[in-house]
Amino acid sequence: MDGLRRYWADLGAQYYEPVSASWRQRGLAGVAEYWRAFFAAEPGAVTDVTEDGTAVVVEVRVCAAFKHLRAHGREIVPCFCQQCYFLNEAIAAPAGLTVRVEGGNGDCRQTFLPRNDGIPDQDLNAIRVATC
Amino acid sequence: MLGVYDFCGHYDWTFEWLRRQGGEALVREYWDQAISQDSQRHAAELIVPGGIPGMIEYWGHTLEHEAAGYHCTATDRVYRIDMHECPSKGFLIRNGLQQYHDYCGHCLGWIGPLLHRAGFVAAHQHDDSGRCWWEIRRADDPAPPSQPGELAGDHDVRLLPDWEQG
Repeated sequence: MDGLRRYWADLGAQYYEPVSASWRQRGLAGVAEYWRAFFAAEPGAVTDVTEDGTAVVVEVRVCAAFKHLRAHGREIVPCFCQQCYFLNEAIAAPAGLTVRVEGGNGDCRQTFLPRNDGIPDQDLNAIRVATC
Repeated sequence: MLGVYDFCGHYDWTFEWLRRQGGEALVREYWDQAISQDSQRHAAELIVPGGIPGMIEYWGHTLEHEAAGYHCTATDRVYRIDMHECPSKGFLIRNGLQQYHDYCGHCLGWIGPLLHRAGFVAAHQHDDSGRCWWEIRRADDPAPPSQPGELAGDHDVRLLPDWEQG
């Protein structure tokens, strides 16, 4: 598990460095724009992205990844949904942002907000175990 | 989260990340275990029992699905692919993405072990610009690769004036 988390963290910090730079420059408006474009390109995804000046909330009603994996009878590892937290946090942190993930296993809520000391750590138990 | 749009970019980055963790041996282990034996198991289900007809079914569907610029030639002894515009490598080139030094090597990295299990071998060259050719024959067939144009006619990538074999 440590190796997988390191992979997600490195992927976020390195491959997605241009995304971090964009979020750092444009703030929450850039985050919202990114996710709207992201899900527009995801076949089968059903999402709502809202921004109110304090946070960006990504409501994933139908996760395209789960839809694809289940349609093709693929194994889904129990920790699958943790990738969204660890990867997105690695992208958000250099931009001065943080993310909290609730739900999973096909639908979830991801909230992006400015980093500050008052925000509780991500509760990994709030991220559902994935099932096939 | 990881999306499908730049899947090839993740792929390329991941190969280089694995190389830095465990060298080329780890990259090859990934190609065999994670791709050949796992994610592409549907290819094995067609090719191992079906041989060349299974290859026709698998690559006919996959390459059409990926909107690749390619040509396939099949006889009862050989299956040949001439790839003129690889969608995967093409995505990397168009977007200026290059992390791993031999991205194109991943195809032989997963197809090679699968063909071995099916009793076939591949002759293959790529030029790292989205073009390659494959000739797949039974492992006990002593025939050498065809001469340029012999099997695929004008579709043979080796006939292109700027073909540079990898």
